[in-house]
Amino acid sequence: MMKVKQGDLDKLGLLFERYNRPLFSFFYRMCKESQLSEDLVQSVFERMLKYRSTYSGNGAFTTWMFSIARNAHIDHYRKQKRRAESDEELDEERVGTAPPEYAERDGKIRRKEILEQALDQLDDDKKEVIVLSRYEGLKYKEIAKIQDSTEGAVKVKVFRAIKELRDIVTTLSEEYSDE
Amino acid sequence: MNEKHEQLIADYLKGNLDEQGKQKIEELLAKGEIDFIDFRAMEQLYDELKMVPVPEPGPQQSSRFYEMLEKQKQLSALSITERIAVFFKKGIAQLTMPRLAYACLLLIAGGFIGVQFGNNDEEMEQLSTQMQEMRQMMMISMLEGPSTTDRLKAVHISSQITSADDQAVSALLFTLNNDPSINVRVQAIEALKRWGKDEYVRKGLINAIAKQESPIVIIELADAMIELELKNSAKEFKQLLEERELEYNVKQKLESSIAALS
Repeated sequence: MMKVKQGDLDKLGLLFERYNRPLFSFFYRMCKESQLSEDLVQSVFERMLKYRSTYSGNGAFTTWMFSIARNAHIDHYRKQKRRAESDEELDEERVGTAPPEYAERDGKIRRKEILEQALDQLDDDKKEVIVLSRYEGLKYKEIAKIQDSTEGAVKVKVFRAIKELRDIVTTLSEEYSDE
Repeated sequence: MNEKHEQLIADYLKGNLDEQGKQKIEELLAKGEIDFIDFRAMEQLYDELKMVPVPEPGPQQSSRFYEMLEKQKQLSALSITERIAVFFKKGIAQLTMPRLAYACLLLIAGGFIGVQFGNNDEEMEQLSTQMQEMRQMMMISMLEGPSTTDRLKAVHISSQITSADDQAVSALLFTLNNDPSINVRVQAIEALKRWGKDEYVRKGLINAIAKQESPIVIIELADAMIELELKNSAKEFKQLLEERELEYNVKQKLESSIAALS
């Protein structure tokens, strides 16, 4: 990134090749929309170019990158707040309505779907710590930097997010087994 | 449960704990200060989270990025007055060659359809073949143009061509080996990959390895070779490693690619 900052813009191509998939995965896990995730990945690299002069080189590049990604996601969420609220209402309606073919699926697929649904039901804030920590492999210290928080607070947040997720998974599993 | 215990469990789940930390957890579980069933359920859930899949991004993500990067590079090379001029010309600029070419293409296609509407399937097929040929001609002509953005667009047009003839493949291979822009070369690889079953394309991609200087293009080629399972390319990569002073990450990438291809 330092080379990009110094004007060697082609080096951003290397960063793109290395990080476009982790970024896509981050956004996809947060919003579950492929097209939107691709738009947000593009937005992150545009912002990297735009704000390249602010890159100091202190700390890991991924921390800086995910801070930008997080802001891009928050900005999008703010813009789409009204739409998102109506989506949430729809999600609430969907909860507990298992697809008809559900009973025929094998246990592992069912569990995977329950996990996906449960993740969707978490608040963005809680989902974010799980995605960054579990899926993107960031350290708690790095997440704290991205969220402008402390390492201890992030650990507590991760614990509570997993606990809540477990409760949702239990409820969903019971609902499906009743059907 | 107090926050200290919550932090300890979070560290345990992440695999951050040393022996002493794990011992502490065992003690708390034994004393019942951490509920055993709760703890195991969370541990299992944390493990299972890896099962939730994520799809791959589409190929257009890469195209969009390189197009944006190319535009940014061109803009960075301009002086302030030139940038202002670019801003005012932007609207007009959008009517340049590719758009006009598309407009012409649509006009001609519309004309054909208008004249031949209602005719039989054979004629429609003929029309479709003619459209493909025109796209191909347009792509080849734009690949030879001086503007990098137009050449990138030409490579993108190739995605609308269902089956390419040798002339189109040759044009893309020539672009891959000779285009001054790294981004156009990378996109040419992406385009050629779609015809990866064609022997001519496969040979062309392998032959292109020795002709590349850019680390990005070499890495992209290595990925393409693995995707297309072009085992013969391992020899070319070995030669590249022996003959050239490559950057550390390129070396690593080539070594892992050779291992995957062998």
